[in-house]
Amino acid sequence: MADNEDAGASVSEPLDLVRLSLDEIVFVKLRGDRELKGRLHAYDSHCNLVLGDVEETIYVVEEDENEEETTRTIKKQEEMLFVRGDSVVLISPQA
Amino acid sequence: MSFFGFNTTLPRDQDTGPAGSRGFFENPDPFAEVARASALEDDDAIDFEDTYDGLGDQLNDDQDEFNDDTFGGGDTAPAVGRDFDFFGRTAQVADAIGEEHVRYTLQNPQAAPPAPLHAHVAAHPVAESTKRTGYEKYSDPGYIPDLQAKSSVWGLSQKKPEPSPAPMPAMPMPSRKMMMSLEEVEAQMRNRGQAFGPIPTQSIPQQMPDPSYMRHPQDFPTLPDGFPANIPRNSSEHSLRRVDCPRICRTLLQAFRSCMEARVLCLHLVQNNIPQNLPPQGPRHAGPPPAQRQQQMPPPPSRGPNGGLPVITNPQQLVHLTEEQRNAYLMEDAKRAKRNHKIFLLSRGNGLMTPQDKNFITRIQLQQLVAAAGNVADADPEAVLAEDFYYQVYSQIRGAPRQHPHQPLGHFAQTYLLQTGNRIGGHGNRRAFQGADNHMQRMQQQVQRAVEAAKAKPKNKQLIIEGSLGKISFSNAKAPKPMLNLKRPDSSEGARPKKVQSDLSTSDRKSLLGNIEAVYNALMSMEDMERTMPPPPEEGDTEAIQEHMEWRQQVQTLNQKLWQALKVMEPIVPNATTPHPFIAFLSYPKGKKAIPRIFRHIDQEQRVTILTMIVVHLDSLDVVRLAQHSGPGEAQLSVAVREAIDLFSLAVMPSLLGYVNEAPFNIIIGLLGLVIAQTQVIHVARTKTGLGILTMLLSRAEIVKEAGQASERDWQQWVEKFNVLFDMLEPGLAHIFPGSINSGDDMYVWQFLAAVGIGASPEQQQRLVIAVKDRVMETVGYSKTLPADMSSQRLGNVNLFMRAIGLDVELLG
Amino acid sequence: MLFFSFFKTLTNQTVTIELKNDIRIRGILKSVDQYLNIKLDDVEVLDLDKYPHLSSVKNMFIRGSVVRYVMLPRSEVDVGLLEDATRREAANQAGKAR
Repeated sequence: MADNEDAGASVSEPLDLVRLSLDEIVFVKLRGDRELKGRLHAYDSHCNLVLGDVEETIYVVEEDENEEETTRTIKKQEEMLFVRGDSVVLISPQA
Repeated sequence: MSFFGFNTTLPRDQDTGPAGSRGFFENPDPFAEVARASALEDDDAIDFEDTYDGLGDQLNDDQDEFNDDTFGGGDTAPAVGRDFDFFGRTAQVADAIGEEHVRYTLQNPQAAPPAPLHAHVAAHPVAESTKRTGYEKYSDPGYIPDLQAKSSVWGLSQKKPEPSPAPMPAMPMPSRKMMMSLEEVEAQMRNRGQAFGPIPTQSIPQQMPDPSYMRHPQDFPTLPDGFPANIPRNSSEHSLRRVDCPRICRTLLQAFRSCMEARVLCLHLVQNNIPQNLPPQGPRHAGPPPAQRQQQMPPPPSRGPNGGLPVITNPQQLVHLTEEQRNAYLMEDAKRAKRNHKIFLLSRGNGLMTPQDKNFITRIQLQQLVAAAGNVADADPEAVLAEDFYYQVYSQIRGAPRQHPHQPLGHFAQTYLLQTGNRIGGHGNRRAFQGADNHMQRMQQQVQRAVEAAKAKPKNKQLIIEGSLGKISFSNAKAPKPMLNLKRPDSSEGARPKKVQSDLSTSDRKSLLGNIEAVYNALMSMEDMERTMPPPPEEGDTEAIQEHMEWRQQVQTLNQKLWQALKVMEPIVPNATTPHPFIAFLSYPKGKKAIPRIFRHIDQEQRVTILTMIVVHLDSLDVVRLAQHSGPGEAQLSVAVREAIDLFSLAVMPSLLGYVNEAPFNIIIGLLGLVIAQTQVIHVARTKTGLGILTMLLSRAEIVKEAGQASERDWQQWVEKFNVLFDMLEPGLAHIFPGSINSGDDMYVWQFLAAVGIGASPEQQQRLVIAVKDRVMETVGYSKTLPADMSSQRLGNVNLFMRAIGLDVELLG
Repeated sequence: MLFFSFFKTLTNQTVTIELKNDIRIRGILKSVDQYLNIKLDDVEVLDLDKYPHLSSVKNMFIRGSVVRYVMLPRSEVDVGLLEDATRREAANQAGKAR
């Protein structure tokens, strides 16, 4: 591509990849068996994020009386969400 | 630190030493041991006379000026004041003191005058003598606690205010230096007084309003005549002075004073046989005159806790009282001490600061605030902006108070206010419309250039028109002319297979997103450049002109960078499986959102190139390709597509419209030719975006014609193209309405039909009416079932079209 | 400093904070600092039956590190500006790294 000298556009560091996903739908995995899907509006070097139109999925493992583990998912919607970076495990473009 | 220059800390206290600041208030309960002490009172121990050598009687009474310095007036106070319990501890080692004293007197016979008395005392231990606990003072009727406000409250080092203009040298003593003569001590005091004098005493004491404090001792009003003046003066001044800060409590001080006066009078009357024996300096713990007692003896604290009450000064008096008198006296005084203590606890913070003090502090705080703000203001505004971009710009846009209003943010605010697309899904669209208006205004300013540019490039026009014949080519000074062969299937067949445009591969997607970010980088650099635009140079100012030229050069460079990043000039590959990079750019929300900002920074030629690019690829745009609705009753478009369409209408269309509304007629003709030649008009017409662009072109042509700006030849060309378009559209006219009649969102269709109707010949108008008459009738019928406001809105939409062809819904009955 | 800057624009807005221990607190964002510590006023603990000990708390200081999410009012976020601010922050960081 013609813009090699353009530092902002070239992907040289991991977070540059995240930059490409600005204003795009991203999938975010969090600690505590949580996942988010939403439009990425902001991030910083700590992986603090702001996501819009987010769907949060929480996986809850439950044991029934037979001691069988079943996974239940809880889904929540948020219109605008700040996510603290220390919970973030991964950020992936699209879901 | 002590008057005598000794280290006054006991060995066991030396760890903490004088460093641990323990003022009166920090002592948890200075009276805790009073009871214990009084319980011990009658145990036999050392009598007063064991330690009192009568040296006080030898003192020269004229030299009282320095008493304050000795006993708390000077700046020795802080060090001494750190150990409240000092006196008690000193008393506990009174035995050792006595031994030292004996040894001293033996070694220095010439210093012996007190010796006989001492010997006498030693020889006649008195029955009441008690074991020393150090807390005898607290049961002493005249005892006043050492009231020591922490002057650190004022943020100043603990220096005693000097209320008297008389020479009152404050003096810290060299704490470890031994064996100083009185003269040396005095000299040192003076030196220190000079060294320390002005700093602490100016701001505070001069502001002190307390008259009882300010009054010079000599003015003490209630002295009975004949009473040894130095006693009350000394004591009152002493105690007043001792109260480190008079602000502690004026009333308290006055209470003390009257109390002390009463005591003095009372004692005077009771003991009028011994006033001449009152040691003028009144340290009850019987510190011998310094000159005689400098050796290793732990000196009395320069601020003993007993204050300067005359009754205290000679406890021998108590011995001479009757038991009853003494008990009554002690009880009364214990009460008083308790009361004073209570008052003191309650009034701890009272009057700590005078109004002047408060003003002073306020001034300091204000200065600090100003200084702090000044620091921020002095910082590079660009740096502040870099760190705080969102807040600064947001505040300006939303009208919140800004911290640094002088910063050059106008351009940014403008940029983001104009960014209509970004308001989607956010707050109301009012700003978006304003933004569009601003955009129009700016476009207007460039009308002249647009016209000139178009006229200067007749070839361009030709080429665009040739596009209809299968060739398209653009050229300008910056981009070499790409010669492209755009042979495409005859669109009139309407069966051209859609390009296979499966979702882009991951790598393509990544590079496309990278391109978009590059565009944003270039845009932001240009917006930064815009802010640094030098003022327009005046004529003859070569330096300014030079500066301006350089700036323009930089802007031009950035413009090229932006243009490269946009990839508008990438060659159009016929039948490519991937869309043109620019069209792909537009398929991303952030690509669409960038268009208004891009249009601000490019020239008319670049704008027309972008517009042409969009028109040529009209049926490849995501908002057209994915937005096909085959006719009434079709399922609704997906949310994502509807959002994309809305975004396109809000972000891209105003920019295009802004250009088209000023575009010369030949450009409009050329664009219409491209639509006919390069796109599947039927497909385009089934989308909101496609119809919007067609409406834009048709209405502009009509306006040009109305304004009489169209030449006959141009108009002929236009009519030709229009007829072709009409023929292509006619079969599909019934299917251009989205959804069923009750979905409501068909206003843009009526607008389009109106635009067609205006330009159509009477014969075409008739065909038009036939094609859409069902929908007209349905809508009119349906609107009758609607509430009045919705009904009139729907009828108004239809009427827009009806009037364009000279009819009215009213006529339909 | 991007998010510090961001949160400053949200002062006096009602936000909901979810802590890492799942407590959710709604309140008015009074102030924020560079560590994204947050001061909330007029707080209201959701799921109060689960956390009755917080029922009488009317305002609080929340250490930034215990925050999992902050739910924000969409109308108070200018996403376009925020994205550009993010791009600038990324550029700044890259500039510092070099």
